Amino acid sequence: MKIKITNWVCTLALIIMGLGGPVQTALAHGEKALEPFIRMRTIQWYDVAWSKQQFNVNEEVAVSGRFHVAEDWPVSVPKPEATFLNVSTPGPVLIRTERWLNGKPWVNSTALEPGGDYEFKIVLKGRLPGRYHIHPFFNLKDAGQVMGPGAWLDIAGNADDFSNDVRTLNGEIVDMESVGLLNGIGWHLFWGVLATAWLLWWVRRPLFISRYRMLQAGMEEELITAQDRLIAKVMLVAVPVAVLAINAVTINRYPNAIPLQAALDRILPLSAQVNAGQVDAEAVKAEYVVAKRAMIFTVRINNRSDKPVQVGEFNTANASFINPELPAANPQASATTAVLKLDDNTPVRPGEERIVTVTAQDALWETEKLDGLINDADSRVGGLLFLYESEGGERYISSVSAAVIPKF
Amino acid sequence: MSAQIPIASFKPYRGEKARLARAYDYLILVLALFLFIGSFHLHFALTVGDWDFWVDWKDRQWWPLVTPLMGITFPAAVQAVLWDKFRLPLGATLCVAALLIGTWVTRVFAYHYWNYFPVNMVLPATMLPGALVLDGILMLSNSLTMTAIAGGSAFALLFYPSNWPIFALFHQPVEYANAQLTLADLFGFQYIRTGMPEYLRIIERGTLRTYGQYAAPLAAFCSALLCTLMYALWWYIGKWFATTRYLNKI
Repeated sequence: MKIKITNWVCTLALIIMGLGGPVQTALAHGEKALEPFIRMRTIQWYDVAWSKQQFNVNEEVAVSGRFHVAEDWPVSVPKPEATFLNVSTPGPVLIRTERWLNGKPWVNSTALEPGGDYEFKIVLKGRLPGRYHIHPFFNLKDAGQVMGPGAWLDIAGNADDFSNDVRTLNGEIVDMESVGLLNGIGWHLFWGVLATAWLLWWVRRPLFISRYRMLQAGMEEELITAQDRLIAKVMLVAVPVAVLAINAVTINRYPNAIPLQAALDRILPLSAQVNAGQVDAEAVKAEYVVAKRAMIFTVRINNRSDKPVQVGEFNTANASFINPELPAANPQASATTAVLKLDDNTPVRPGEERIVTVTAQDALWETEKLDGLINDADSRVGGLLFLYESEGGERYISSVSAAVIPKF
Repeated sequence: MSAQIPIASFKPYRGEKARLARAYDYLILVLALFLFIGSFHLHFALTVGDWDFWVDWKDRQWWPLVTPLMGITFPAAVQAVLWDKFRLPLGATLCVAALLIGTWVTRVFAYHYWNYFPVNMVLPATMLPGALVLDGILMLSNSLTMTAIAGGSAFALLFYPSNWPIFALFHQPVEYANAQLTLADLFGFQYIRTGMPEYLRIIERGTLRTYGQYAAPLAAFCSALLCTLMYALWWYIGKWFATTRYLNKI
């Protein structure tokens, strides 16, 4: 018995210590959970940047960037007829004050066009102090969430200082943090008091066993008294009358109330930014060498511009492979980077068509959970290939994709 | 079934027996309260869900249709037991009050303190007026048919007008991003929900608006019709699953 009690006490102590001990905050939010072929061949993010990463409560921060909607959209993923540009946050620690797509302010969902190019900007306002890992991302209807590059944001200050005033079309300024709260609580209390009175009216007298016995004895008339009936009749008249009267008063008070708004915005893509025509790059073949964690592309490059160009970067699912021999190619601040190697690094001359072998070899394929591609039904790799003029640094972008052949 | 006790030989409990019977009342009441807080709240969250969670889901079409329809279920089942076995006309009010207690606890602690949403964005709707009327009609009519038709209809028809005083002010128009929104829509845009893209909102979808734009009354009458059927169904579910065999042994 003594041993049993000791065991119980020890177990309880361990549980209490466990609960009180240091707990590691979960930092990931499933950004690598979606199948690789969806992350690589739907929304292809690039040039994503934050205006700042340290700011105070009530200060605004903007994240802007571009994305290409892949032409090689996976057959198993519904077309992007309804999408929503969102921000991954642990709850509304920031609020979204503005969102722009191709220069247009935008609050609803939108349809995207495969092959289309878009630039976006989201303005957020600090609400709760803390350090948060935030991504812009796209909710794709019936497909999932395709994450853009993430960044750490530090919000300083005091949560109580946060304010969010909005002016209605009637000219009234309301604080979104508290508007309607006391009114709502008031009505819940009003009906709650009436309901409590009704419940207490019955609960104050003997209930289950006594009433059951009386009912069994046929004494039903004594269980519901004349006074009970009178109260019920009053209630049956008073409650609907009160509801309709209060409703009428409310309608008069808010004559300009409108229904909730629901629309699907139509925002046209920009003129072509990716696969724009002057310099074409096409993936002819792709092999993934499992042991070396290397994706080897055979790429046909056709330079129809008047300047020599070189491959500078391959970017897929926020993993960036950079050609270190090309100074123009700078890794994006928020992307995860590795090295890109070419079998022939000399510039592709104007008018030349060349086939090059591009090797993206790094543990990134594994750590970013992209190597799972070879286990997908739709095992095609996709991404953006960035080519740069050897002089001047002008950038040409191609969206490339190819079936992946695994080399075990 | 226990044997009928003749009225002549019926003796009310007195003294210790009466005290124990009262203690039993309170025990059952407390247990029932927690049972309904948990089970009805879970049922409601799974069936009505976002329409009750968020202010920007409370539209004219689906909200007044779905909420009473799913909200009349437990009240009907509990009324079947409490009225049939004990002649207690408080089943609907008890259930809805328990639901609201659970809902308020969740909105404040889970949605506000845990997930940082302002409470006004997640204000629950009330079904208490409808529940009071439902209890009153059952008591006065002592009829399943009457309660299903009149009570079920009243439960649905009273829902929208009894909640409009709470939610009308969230329907004030705002000019935002070159568009007209309600304050409720603005909550949905500003206060970020990563798992709730705008396109998931099932609001203002359907053909009810073709009747002269009077969507809410039509949805309420549609709900009233369905509530009469739902009430009867859940009345029998309550009856089938309830037993008083333990009382018979007392």
